[in-house]
Amino acid sequence: MTVAASPAAPARPRKPRPSRVLIAGLVAVAAITAWAAWEVDFTLGPLLENFSNGWVVVEQFLHPNWSYLGNAWTAWLETISIAIVASFFGVAVGLVFAYMASRVTNRSTPLYRAVKWFLAVLRSLPDVAYVLIFVALVGVGSLAGILALFIFNIGIAAKLTAETIDAVDPGPLEAADASGAGTFSRARWAVQPQILPNFLSYALYIFELNIRSSVVIGYAGGGGIGQLIQVQFARFNFENVSAIVISMFVVVLLIDQLSQYLRRRLV
Amino acid sequence: MSTASTASETRTVRPEEPGKARATIGAIVLVILVVAGGYLSNADWGKLPDIFTEGGRYFSLMLKGLVQNPFSEPYSEYWSAALGGMLESISMAWIGTMIGAVLSIPMGFLAARNVSHPVVVQVTRVILNAIRTLPELVFAIILLLPIFGFGPNAGALALGVGAVGTLGKLTAEALEGIDPGPVEAARASGAPGSAILRWTYWSQVLPEVLAFWLYRFEINIRASAILGIIGAGGIGSVLSQAFRYREWDFIGILLFVIIVVTVLVDAVSGAVRHRIIAGSGVSDAKVEQDAATL
Repeated sequence: MTVAASPAAPARPRKPRPSRVLIAGLVAVAAITAWAAWEVDFTLGPLLENFSNGWVVVEQFLHPNWSYLGNAWTAWLETISIAIVASFFGVAVGLVFAYMASRVTNRSTPLYRAVKWFLAVLRSLPDVAYVLIFVALVGVGSLAGILALFIFNIGIAAKLTAETIDAVDPGPLEAADASGAGTFSRARWAVQPQILPNFLSYALYIFELNIRSSVVIGYAGGGGIGQLIQVQFARFNFENVSAIVISMFVVVLLIDQLSQYLRRRLV
Repeated sequence: MSTASTASETRTVRPEEPGKARATIGAIVLVILVVAGGYLSNADWGKLPDIFTEGGRYFSLMLKGLVQNPFSEPYSEYWSAALGGMLESISMAWIGTMIGAVLSIPMGFLAARNVSHPVVVQVTRVILNAIRTLPELVFAIILLLPIFGFGPNAGALALGVGAVGTLGKLTAEALEGIDPGPVEAARASGAPGSAILRWTYWSQVLPEVLAFWLYRFEINIRASAILGIIGAGGIGSVLSQAFRYREWDFIGILLFVIIVVTVLVDAVSGAVRHRIIAGSGVSDAKVEQDAATL
């Protein structure tokens, strides 16, 4: 508008047209969204229609049964124990796989490929699938939860640590090579001191993750607090579920704070 | 070692090794924790050998399901149930990501210190943290099942609510990390607030935020399987059914489909993410690192 008023000013450059890739991308996203919405029968209608149903539950939730927490704390102890054992062994084994999944420490290409491939498969299954598998193998209980989280943790720990190993300072590696170090002493003395703070911080992060996934673990039969939620939910004791959920809030926050404090001291 | 130290007398003394007391104490505490954990978890460790005795048998049963002719009964049904469940899971994950993405934009702006009032920032952050604390499963149980009933719709909504927490936080962090130059320029030229948000803040974070959305989509695919065990549909429901009846050949097919499809989607989504991030001025590694907390 103003350009026309003052002819001396240079003409405003033409607005670039949106690229074809962008348009194609947006159309694809819209199409996928429409199809997915149809596939899951997406609707918000029940929010209005069944709101009273939900409100009954919400009301029970607003009156948590605090006395139930007395029963909950043994389950919490179980969940935290499961998480400690599973993350300890998970990250320990994960570290070994991490060394094999980085070009820096693994100079054998076939082994490197095989380990990368194996870890991708390991990570692609959700934790609940592992719980179901181990419940079938060793029966319902904490052991199934520990084993499932153990396998699950190997995948995460190995991926995160391998990426850190990829990025280490090559100086110590060259020094180790120059002094004729073998694969193991090279990994132990040139790489491990560099990655140790990050590795420990990943271990704490994985421990946090394990606490968070305790609901899922217990629901599928792996013991701990999730099992308690499942039982109480099946009996429609929403006041008890509410108390457990609030305790979960507190526990997760406390553990996050503790782990953040420890991590800050490490890195 | 000994030859080096005796050969040159004039060398400076080797510095003393730093103390190992802290590391030792840490290791001892850790071992105590693990042993106590192993005991207090009430795990029936005696059943551990079952993995090896039973495991091999079940694994061969699973493989048996995979190598059967997929066009013969009942394997054709198994395969179509597996693929149908996986498609439903992907749809749930996609819708959940979309809901999370749309809601996380305003939440992200409200939670960014360089955009909103400090009080608003604090309130929004508390909400986002609260959402991040609870797993999707809890949302599904508490809020959605009583209203939406069992089914993929409730699952998709639960994934959406869960995604808001992480996506909102990451969007806010991305907004806080922008280059303030364009903002000042727009302000100096008298741009209205909405234009500043759209053309300086949003333009700068868009690639990063898109990458986070894709990352969240990958995570939601795994999470949708989890929601399946409470009857929210998708491959998780099919899987827990199959486990209930111990149909190991079916389980083998289901796990195979989950692994292959997840790896494929991760590869495609990862390629798109790298393409979006390339040339945006943000390093790939930084996005990966931030997204690791999703």
